[in-house]
Amino acid sequence: MPRAFPKKPPAPLNAKPVEYVEKTPTVQSYLPEIFRGIGTSMRHWFKNTRDLIRGTRPDPVTERWADGITTIAYPEQKRPYPERFRGVHRLTVRDDGSPRCVACLCCSTACPAQCIYIEAGEYPEGDKRRGYERYPVKFVIDELRCIFCGFCVEACPCDAIRMDTGIHAVPYDSRDQFLYDKDILINFVGRDGTRETSNPRHEPGDPTHPGITRDHISH
Amino acid sequence: MPTFKLDGKEIPFEPGDSIIKAAARQGIEIPHYCWHPGLSAPANCRMCLVEIKPGPQQRAMMLDVLEFDPSINDYRPAQKPKLQPACQMPAVEGQEVLSETSPHVLKARKTVQELLLLNHPVDCPICDQAGECKLQDYWLEHQKTQKRMRDEPIHKPKAVVFGPTIVYDAERCVMCTRCIRFMAEVAKDPVLDMRERGNLNEICVAPGRQLDGHYTFMTEHVCPVGALTTKDFRFKARVWFLRSAKSICQGCATGCNAWLDYDPRYNKAYRYRPRDNEAVNKYWMCDGGMLSYRAAHVGRVTSAKVKGKTVTVEAALSEVTKRFSDTSRESIAFVLSAQHSLEDNWALREVARLAGSSNIYVTGAGPGYKDDILIDEDKNSNTAGVVELVPSLRPFPQLIEDIRGGRVTQIIALGGVTPRNDPEDVTALGMVSTLVTVAAHEGALTEAAHVVLPATSWAEQSGTYVNRQGFRQVADKALEPQGASRPAWEQLRALALALGLEPTWTKLKDIRKELTVSAAAVQSAPAVEPSPAP
Repeated sequence: MPRAFPKKPPAPLNAKPVEYVEKTPTVQSYLPEIFRGIGTSMRHWFKNTRDLIRGTRPDPVTERWADGITTIAYPEQKRPYPERFRGVHRLTVRDDGSPRCVACLCCSTACPAQCIYIEAGEYPEGDKRRGYERYPVKFVIDELRCIFCGFCVEACPCDAIRMDTGIHAVPYDSRDQFLYDKDILINFVGRDGTRETSNPRHEPGDPTHPGITRDHISH
Repeated sequence: MPTFKLDGKEIPFEPGDSIIKAAARQGIEIPHYCWHPGLSAPANCRMCLVEIKPGPQQRAMMLDVLEFDPSINDYRPAQKPKLQPACQMPAVEGQEVLSETSPHVLKARKTVQELLLLNHPVDCPICDQAGECKLQDYWLEHQKTQKRMRDEPIHKPKAVVFGPTIVYDAERCVMCTRCIRFMAEVAKDPVLDMRERGNLNEICVAPGRQLDGHYTFMTEHVCPVGALTTKDFRFKARVWFLRSAKSICQGCATGCNAWLDYDPRYNKAYRYRPRDNEAVNKYWMCDGGMLSYRAAHVGRVTSAKVKGKTVTVEAALSEVTKRFSDTSRESIAFVLSAQHSLEDNWALREVARLAGSSNIYVTGAGPGYKDDILIDEDKNSNTAGVVELVPSLRPFPQLIEDIRGGRVTQIIALGGVTPRNDPEDVTALGMVSTLVTVAAHEGALTEAAHVVLPATSWAEQSGTYVNRQGFRQVADKALEPQGASRPAWEQLRALALALGLEPTWTKLKDIRKELTVSAAAVQSAPAVEPSPAP
């Protein structure tokens, strides 16, 4: 059977010198191109230096010299994140504090890193949502696997998962600390400081969800 | 064979075929909800409408309609041909049918699809049918527009418990009546019917009854949408994560062809679906069979045991060597299993032949419920196969009698299940000096065994099973072997080596080759007919 990675054949004892490539004008024509490239770089360097001295171009480092400090003391100080920065996930809640998630596994399907694990369950007997919806019995995100692409947020039909906490992924001591379960995720707040979202949600009892009996049906 | 033209293509048909059936046989799908190849055609979903061109001496039946003309921003009178349901119109020699090529048909499909989705809750994220739903497929194929109705849809009962196995959601239902017709025509128990009319239409169970019996799971399977869900599969998995393996139901001697759906990520089986085979089970399976996928995980032997203690397979094999070292191999009794595949039984028969023993018995589950539809009295999947291997088998009661009579003192057995639940059997099995069992499932034999070697179940290995009709049917491997279990023929090979024999097989291929030679005269299983998608 042929090997997938064949062994390197031993060097032949009767080695032959490789023929040296003759330095013809065609071969040597790369030299002018190199000098042209260096020339372009130098042109930009001189232009930038001139702008710097004239003060027409702000410098990211020297503009802070006025404060006397050029660096920030992370993590005590943090540079502001852009508005749509994708931070650690959170699970949004309904008005009664239960998760909006219906365990449809759309996020888990969309996730390219396969870092979301969900176990779906039915609401217990007597719950008004029983029959309409299911809920996540387990909802675990492996933040170590997550690549923070935001596909899960895009995929969610219920606005139940968001990445608007503004929290940068945190380093931990062990791998299992990166497994964020439902309780952790649901207790993160968004940047507006709430655990809800402003998007409305239909609940059983609304006119859109009149009930699971046929009492409301009239002829 | 007579032919007709569908979109300009010649379609052969057998007299009596409907257009949709003849097309489906040629692999052309005319979209449908209510039609099912195994059921009658009520033509109530109107999805399969086609245009049938009039004959040479006939005039086309045209309907006067109003058509919106954007150029005058008003409706103007127009005509369109009367469309016919392909599921009910018999195919006629030489007739010309337009399906994909008729603009009227395409418009009708789009409109029917929009109508069916008018009151649909579109709760695909929490619907178990999502991913294998006809509404989703046909929306993408034929509609692709949003619904124009701005009113609140009609709300109907949800999560209605129909019986011990089935839950019904009236809002998702498209009223195709497949479940009603299945119960009436195949299960012969017309317990379902519909009530109300129009958009309040819903399926209901006969008063005082519930949806029970031996064929309730099939109502869920024939349902083209997510209206009927089984309590067993409800909320358990998303179908797009599942993979399907061709399998054979192990519930009884009928040997229904099935798809075993499993999740490769968790190495777990989730459900059975019937696999269409006109010669064996048509399109159906029974409830017990549909639930028998659980046996891939429940009651399994997953580690080698010596006197009930879990040990490594190597330790168990050296125990076998020790126990059989000072006895003659001719006196060993071999017990085949009607619940294991032909390959496994062949391997044990081969061990018996190499050992020079002719004491071959058989075990398996005892008889049970039977009916005239699918369920067989014999609850073993491979009885015919074992009989085919060893025509002069001695039954299990004979083994007990021979143990009592002192004629059998050492046993090498396949399978753990015994046909009777008799305490006397346990006593008798306790009398033998050595009982070695290669088993996938726990039973009286594994309880009594001195050495147990774990075998894979039918879901974890490829195996051949001979059903009651004598068809050899192959079940493919779905799951990876659980625990220390290996295919029984592989364990038997190790066992033969431990006994000091020289096994004649090393691979499954060797056994398959032997089996094809030995059974050249035996009728081979018919290929699964390319049957139309239900």
